[in-house]
Amino acid sequence: MSTTKRPMEGVRILDLAGISGANGTRLLAALGAEVIVAEPPTGHTMRSWAPFVPGGSAPEGSLWWAYFAQGKKSVVVADLDELRALAATCDVVVEDAGVGVLDEVAASMGPEVVWISVTPFGRTGPRAHWKGSELVGWASSGLLHTFGFPDRPPVMPATPIQFGQHVLALDVALSAQLALRVRRRTGRGQRVDLSLQEALLFVGPETGAPLFLDDLVPRSRPGNRRAVSRPFGLYPCADGFVSVVVLQPAHWRAMAEWIRDVTGEDSLLEEAFFDIAVRWEAAEFVDAMTEAVTTSMNKLDLFIEGQRRGIPITPVNTVADLRNDPHLEAAGFWRSHEVHGTDGVVGPGAPFRVSADWWSFSRAPLLGEHTDVVLGPLRG
Amino acid sequence: MGHTDANRVRALDGVRVVELSIAIAAPSVARTLAFHGAEVLKIEARSNPDVARLFGSAWARVPEFLEVFTDTSPYVPEMSAGKLSVGLELKHPEALAALHRIIATADVFITNYSTPAVRGLGLGYDEMRAIKPDIVYVALPGFGSDESLPYYPFLAWGPNQAPLVGMDELTGYADQEPAGVASIAPPDYLAGKHGMLAVLTALEHRESSGEGVFVDLSQFETTVSLLGPFIYDYELTGNVVGRDGNRDPRQAPQGCYPCTGDDRWVALSITDDAAWTAFAAVCGEAWAADGRFTTLAGRVAAHDELDGLIGTWTARHDAAELAAWLQEAGVAAHPVLDHAGLLGDDQIRAREWYAVRGGGRFELDLFGREPLRLTETPGDVDRAGPSMGQDTRDVLARVAGLGDAEIDAMIDSGAAFAETAPGRVLQRPYHRYIDVITRVDRGGRA
Repeated sequence: MSTTKRPMEGVRILDLAGISGANGTRLLAALGAEVIVAEPPTGHTMRSWAPFVPGGSAPEGSLWWAYFAQGKKSVVVADLDELRALAATCDVVVEDAGVGVLDEVAASMGPEVVWISVTPFGRTGPRAHWKGSELVGWASSGLLHTFGFPDRPPVMPATPIQFGQHVLALDVALSAQLALRVRRRTGRGQRVDLSLQEALLFVGPETGAPLFLDDLVPRSRPGNRRAVSRPFGLYPCADGFVSVVVLQPAHWRAMAEWIRDVTGEDSLLEEAFFDIAVRWEAAEFVDAMTEAVTTSMNKLDLFIEGQRRGIPITPVNTVADLRNDPHLEAAGFWRSHEVHGTDGVVGPGAPFRVSADWWSFSRAPLLGEHTDVVLGPLRG
Repeated sequence: MGHTDANRVRALDGVRVVELSIAIAAPSVARTLAFHGAEVLKIEARSNPDVARLFGSAWARVPEFLEVFTDTSPYVPEMSAGKLSVGLELKHPEALAALHRIIATADVFITNYSTPAVRGLGLGYDEMRAIKPDIVYVALPGFGSDESLPYYPFLAWGPNQAPLVGMDELTGYADQEPAGVASIAPPDYLAGKHGMLAVLTALEHRESSGEGVFVDLSQFETTVSLLGPFIYDYELTGNVVGRDGNRDPRQAPQGCYPCTGDDRWVALSITDDAAWTAFAAVCGEAWAADGRFTTLAGRVAAHDELDGLIGTWTARHDAAELAAWLQEAGVAAHPVLDHAGLLGDDQIRAREWYAVRGGGRFELDLFGREPLRLTETPGDVDRAGPSMGQDTRDVLARVAGLGDAEIDAMIDSGAAFAETAPGRVLQRPYHRYIDVITRVDRGGRA
């Protein structure tokens, strides 16, 4: 298999985007594409993002850069003309400069170039020029409204991760692949118009307008237990929290038996409690009994024992828990990476497994590391 | 709109996909493939319906709608717009044989059934490859397909996955227990995006090598793969990243601030010093001119204080008006939209995010489009979600090559089923107002 062409080999991508494209172009690079990041002389914005390697700083210390620029090349272009010349050698250009900012450069490209514009709200419509952020994206998707406790402001999911930007970045990779597929047939590239608002609308059918119009049930933020039945949500344990989602009768029987085994309380095995509406009526009691089980153990033991009993339960994991998780360890998920000159730093491996030899992740580039080799031929 | 144009080009024209799946992750992959022109055959069983069908609709929980209940869920168009529904009970040998004939013509097989379930049906990768050597086989079971791994047999339920992969711990305020993200299932959709990446990459791979592939996609791994910087940080320093509400150390202040009305909020991000200056000018309050707030470090240090001051100011204003003023000045702000707000949102309307199509159980049905906007070859579908078994006869004849008598026999024996109550067309509760509500192009064969 090693002689087989890598799936994205031969595709040259110019990456002018920030975090909104970073993970997508990282994955395309790992699949064999040549990804060139054009940076300002001061470095890409992500180079200044904490956390840094111990004692490190911008431009060669950011752990965001070390991870999300894996496998890419870095060039520092002299001016807009050189950027235009470089773009013209590429199959795909990805940018998030804002509506209109690079339109002149885009218009000067040959018809075969795929030009992907990433913006907060899209290139058309009355909000095309509105400014965005991760938080603004969640607010505009209807999702933010559904997260958090009722007595506090809405709160976005997994704020430190920038989850929405990564969903958007996947859309960058997917639309590049789709547009290249069209080009193979028609010979023509095209403009792709991606927005954070729509990337997140796609993630939210559960809280979207079609569901609401159909049942008129408002879905506002419930805290960390949902107002559907019990147990449903997060429960404290000896070393943090676990998530328990019990809806099906078989799952409830297993849960009620576990409660009986730990507490001696067997009334929850009565027929009435198999009705999810009855458990919701008796939420306080069901929660107290559930907590009697969960607080007696730590999260990993609850996970393994609960699942052994046939109960949908999972630990609320921290990064430390994940790094020490027995399944990820046994799966060989973790890989050894070079991070700003230090070999052997453990990081996540490929996002999925494949029977062919697709993935190859290599270190992130130094600022301007590939300027000469990439731009030399253009400079003559 | 190009959706009725016979000459339209879509990226995945000519690609045939067979989907055997439940709820979200795998259906969301096939949904996107359908939008971009793939022919998606969703194999469905009455003996084991997709959860998205079992939800039905609240108003349909009465005898009058019993025969069509599994067609009524609004998740059906959201998850299956543009797909063909093929009713096959795969425990019947004739049904399995028909599926094998379909697979022999297919490019892609997608499933998120558990590995024992697909193997039990005789639909593992080895069996598939024997029928179609270059099949692209994408499996998305909760914990992967490797039975030697510890969590392989564990239950993976949508709302339980986000906590497992680290999202819940990082959601909420630092001074409070985690808020979690149980109202949606982000890891499902993220897995779907990666499933799509797998399919598109596999089609490239097949193009150059002539070979298919087996893809084993675990939601656990796809989502944890986003945690790279924080895993490195833990490895290098022992630091364990925690939650901090809506705050971002790179842009402050940032948060949701109360506005007039019940539970109305404006989301605000001061993305740089110039944005603060612009904000202070719009706000016009004396405190906004405080020199401490002109730098990021100063604003970060005073974040609690700023939250109080800003919230006192915003509470006197309407969220939508405030967001518009701030955006006019170049400040990132937006009302926190609820469900009704999505329908009234000018941008969502202008970009026609919501589509209205007929062709399934409903005269007209409503669903969200799809974010991969290729401007020259846009994705689109002619039909909303299919009723269960709506396309059984068509697919068994056209794709599996069976004759009418064979198909009738399969339906009589229970090996296959067609839709219930053919010709019974329903209307959504909001049917009469659908154009007023959405102001969207109706299109398609409606």
